[in-house]
Amino acid sequence: MKICVDLEKCQSHGQCAIAAPELFSFDAEGKLRWVKEPPVEQQATAEAAADACPEQAITIGT
Amino acid sequence: MSAAETIDVPYLKLSDPSFSIRSQEVREARARNWYARTPYGIAVLRYEDVGKLLRDPRFRQGSHAWPAHNQATGKFADWWLRMLLNRVGEDHARLRRLANPAFSPKLIASLQPVFAELANDIIDKFARRGTCEFMAEFSEPYATRVICALLGLDQSEWRNLADIAADMGLALGVTFKRDLEKINAATERLFDYAHRVIEERRTRPPGEDFISLLLQANENKDKLSDQELYDMVVLAVFGGIDTTRNQLGLAMSMFVEAPDQWKLLAERPDLAKNAVEEVMRLRPTTTWVTREALEDMTYKDLLIKQGTTLHLFAESAGTDPEVFAPGLDITAQRKPHFGFGGGAHHCLGHFIARGDMTEALKLLAQRLRNPRYEGEPLFLPDSGNTGPITLNIRFDPEA
Repeated sequence: MKICVDLEKCQSHGQCAIAAPELFSFDAEGKLRWVKEPPVEQQATAEAAADACPEQAITIGT
Repeated sequence: MSAAETIDVPYLKLSDPSFSIRSQEVREARARNWYARTPYGIAVLRYEDVGKLLRDPRFRQGSHAWPAHNQATGKFADWWLRMLLNRVGEDHARLRRLANPAFSPKLIASLQPVFAELANDIIDKFARRGTCEFMAEFSEPYATRVICALLGLDQSEWRNLADIAADMGLALGVTFKRDLEKINAATERLFDYAHRVIEERRTRPPGEDFISLLLQANENKDKLSDQELYDMVVLAVFGGIDTTRNQLGLAMSMFVEAPDQWKLLAERPDLAKNAVEEVMRLRPTTTWVTREALEDMTYKDLLIKQGTTLHLFAESAGTDPEVFAPGLDITAQRKPHFGFGGGAHHCLGHFIARGDMTEALKLLAQRLRNPRYEGEPLFLPDSGNTGPITLNIRFDPEA
């Protein structure tokens, strides 16, 4: 599974980090960091983050 | 703050009932400076700064200070302090994670036929007459019945819930002090209603609606306590009805004043989604949102002390001439607006609001041709949460 974030669309609301803190976080500079290829067991969590994004900037691929 | 700065910085009387977010005074203040001083802190006026400060982690959502700042007490203030918007950190995250699935874009997309059926059903009642009081006859029943559908509530309850939401909504206007008794009474009625519904729902097998989802979570009281369960139902009713009701009214009035855009929307229903964004950029019902500084800091030239309230002017940011070409243009691709706030407290129900308003505008444009005002519309003050009170319109009657 692959997580892609369209950083052009991303507005740094941080909803992904609330929905899936194990996959998304902000670094000290406020830049979004995320697990690019999480194990497949985390599919549901990743999708929860994608759904929660107000800008719909996150896509989950294989 | 230096003496020179005091002279240059505009001052806006936010608490004055005659204050208008759309006034020349605010436009001039925005041209002069990125912020203005107010009786309750700092008003942020420009797009770039509103966007940055909205999501700056050195601030918390500022609404929790509302009861204290205004000496507001009672049922509404108690609920206000407990509910999702005013929670922070892991506590807020837990509740938000729990509520998210009921507001997911996939679920909302599946409701599109429900929205369309509701809208058509409501329009049917006045389309042949060629006139309507848009707020009472469309905006209010539509916004309320959408929430009923989403929460799995009996559609026949809509009148009662709409009245409650409207009375509670007075809390967010500048005239709230004289309405406090009414606001608290409405809050009590809504809690009574939530108790009744939940008692009844516990006896039924769960469905896929928001209340079913909450009830499942409530089986583990650490995940969602009884109080949190009631508070969440109250938030869904209050937060969902009054805002959408007002926003649709603002949309209708904008299109009455822009007949070419309405005609275009009737011809191009695919533009309805963009029309919602354009309306919310130019006339957001939530004209500003607040933040409170968690620490002392310097932003640009300004020292912001811990505890300072920032009023982030969504309306003023959305019409910032440095960023947006003037006017309503439903074909334009604009930068994101701040009508749903932003950051950790970004509006939870925005996919519903976007979805139901898109469907409503699409069908209204096709069925209410050539709309114009019938008498002067009456508006809430242009500050806090705003919208039309009455909006009488005339249009070409359907055959």
